[in-house]
Amino acid sequence: MNRTRNLLVPAYWTATVGLFAAAVALTLVWTPVEATMGPIQKIFYLHLPVAINTFLACLVVFIASVGFLWQRKAWWDDLAYAAAKVAVQFCTVVLATGMIWGKSAWGQWWTWSPRLTFSLALWLLYVVYLIVRLSVESRARRAVISAVYGVVAFLDVPLVYLSARLMPDIHPGSVSLAPAMKLTLGLWFIPVTLMCFGMIVARYFLHRRIRQTTAAPAPEINQPMRLGALGELA
Amino acid sequence: MNDVTALATQPLTSTVAAAAARPAAAVEAVDLCKLIDERPVLRDVTFRVNGGEFVAVLGANGAGKSTLLKIMATLVAPSSGDLRLFGRSLGKDSRAARKDIGLIGHQSMLYRDLSPLENLEFFARLYGVKDPAGRSRRLLEAVGLAHRANDAVATFSRGMTQRVAIARALLHEPQLILADEPFAGLDAPSTAAVEELLGHLHWRGRTIFLVSHDVEQSLRLAERVVVLRGGTLAADRPAKGLKAAEVLEVVGW
Amino acid sequence: MTRTISHIFLLAGKDLRIQARTRHTFGLIAVLGVLIVVVLGLGLGAQAEVRGFGATAVLWVAYLFSGVLCFEKTMAVERNDDALAGLLLAPIDRSLIYVSKLVTNLALMAAVALVVTPVGVLFFSFDLSAAPGTFAGIIAISMVGFAAVGTLFAAVVSSSRLQGGLLAMMVFPITLPLVIVSTRLMTAVFRDGQAVEASTVGVLVAFDAIFLAVSWVVFEWVLEV
Repeated sequence: MNRTRNLLVPAYWTATVGLFAAAVALTLVWTPVEATMGPIQKIFYLHLPVAINTFLACLVVFIASVGFLWQRKAWWDDLAYAAAKVAVQFCTVVLATGMIWGKSAWGQWWTWSPRLTFSLALWLLYVVYLIVRLSVESRARRAVISAVYGVVAFLDVPLVYLSARLMPDIHPGSVSLAPAMKLTLGLWFIPVTLMCFGMIVARYFLHRRIRQTTAAPAPEINQPMRLGALGELA
Repeated sequence: MNDVTALATQPLTSTVAAAAARPAAAVEAVDLCKLIDERPVLRDVTFRVNGGEFVAVLGANGAGKSTLLKIMATLVAPSSGDLRLFGRSLGKDSRAARKDIGLIGHQSMLYRDLSPLENLEFFARLYGVKDPAGRSRRLLEAVGLAHRANDAVATFSRGMTQRVAIARALLHEPQLILADEPFAGLDAPSTAAVEELLGHLHWRGRTIFLVSHDVEQSLRLAERVVVLRGGTLAADRPAKGLKAAEVLEVVGW
Repeated sequence: MTRTISHIFLLAGKDLRIQARTRHTFGLIAVLGVLIVVVLGLGLGAQAEVRGFGATAVLWVAYLFSGVLCFEKTMAVERNDDALAGLLLAPIDRSLIYVSKLVTNLALMAAVALVVTPVGVLFFSFDLSAAPGTFAGIIAISMVGFAAVGTLFAAVVSSSRLQGGLLAMMVFPITLPLVIVSTRLMTAVFRDGQAVEASTVGVLVAFDAIFLAVSWVVFEWVLEV
């Protein structure tokens, strides 16, 4: 089992990096430049797959949180934490690429546009999840509190999406994509999704190992008090 | 405190008497297990207690006594295994079973900003007791605190608070009484009074589970002794004829 | 059904009675709310843009921060002396504990709003006369959603240790949708002088319903002592 894992893991990551490189090369060399926005538009090919994967990671947090509340088994908690970490990292990329796009398209780093507001709110939702985990010492309570928050946070995402849509929108409608662009976009999905999945799994095993090596202390079975000895010392 | 027992234990109604006549178990635990933080706190605990028995649960700290009592009180669900109270399995809805349970815990479970009378009336109403105000007043008189009926519980001493807690546990005339170290922090007269109360409740046909550290006291009060050690049942015997030293050995002290 | 309602009244009545006995803490919360309004008023200065309509943003901040304190206060009652176990022992539907806490929280938030709102209206020369009912209505609906989530989280977060910011940190991002939508309604009515959009109010009510339903269901899962 370990041998297959020792082969599988590097192969997996090599493939992922390779596909990334291929996607970048393709985008820069082959994909047509979009007329209105220019070369910066190509950041969209990174932005959208990462955004979708962020959502998937948030979904994993939700499922793991529900699983924990239902079964109270530690591995659900490890999975939720792993997915949340990845969600925040990916969402940071979403925010950054969104802001770069915005700066290039409308000259401002930040506007309260629906998309940016939604990205920010999502980012905050899951950053709070991570901080909640850091703020609670007791292992058992930490798991319960995070799980409750994880459930509510995900169910909140559609509400945030809907309310963000009410914000004033500077964008003109969505840009239509030429077939070559659609292909590029599709191609980007592969390495990004592999990366998301791989990171969650890797993190999950890391958390599990940490948990197992810092196991809770053994139950208190006291040695009887040696009153004679105490009496002499006192 | 003598009057409490009279108030707490009306003669058994005919249906309950009939049930007691049948050899139905009051409490039946089968392979109870409880994991907390993946650690087994209770493992394969199996026992059967008939109606009207007085059982003392002994064991060292961390042996699982309080957890067992909490499971019996429906405060905590077991990880696996089955628990039946008066023939009813504690499944999804333990609501009906709670009508028959009275718990006296380490903590008073009272609201310190309210008076004892307000506390008792609140719980009486919550339990659907008939004439909540009257019964609360009578129980409060019986525990000897009528003169402090309208003072906030926050001003009470530990002994007085415990008396109100006992009154509260008896409001709804429970068939099963669970006492988790009720003597902790009580002075000698209060301890004696609580012992007498438990004895009378037993005499009146209630089933009693007492968790205590005091082995000699337990052997004196109870008719059956259950010893937990490391979460498992180490002994389950009648109290008669048991010596404290034997029990201590089983407990692991 | 009537038993459910009478249980809710009984539980909420007990909570409100306790809150009345501990009025001094309420004073603390109300004063905090006022201070928030004052500080923001001073900080924002006398600029014209901030006057009038800007009060709604300031008031929201005041309501949210004092609201979180109310949630902590209501839940803290059950942590003393393991009082919550006393409730769990009773032969009642345990989700009613959630409902009664929610009712108490709403009552407290309303009381705070009654103190803080006039202060905000005064300091920001906010003219409510155009639609006072609308203002109260929007705030009330938003508070229900806010309290729905806050009551759940307060029950889960153990406040026996001082983790004051934790509850606020958890509640705020979840309730952003409420802030966004109600601000939009306020803007339309008080700054742009338009009529209330029924569909947007409907959205707010729908959000409330979702928060309530989710919190109610999740509450039962976390009651294990």
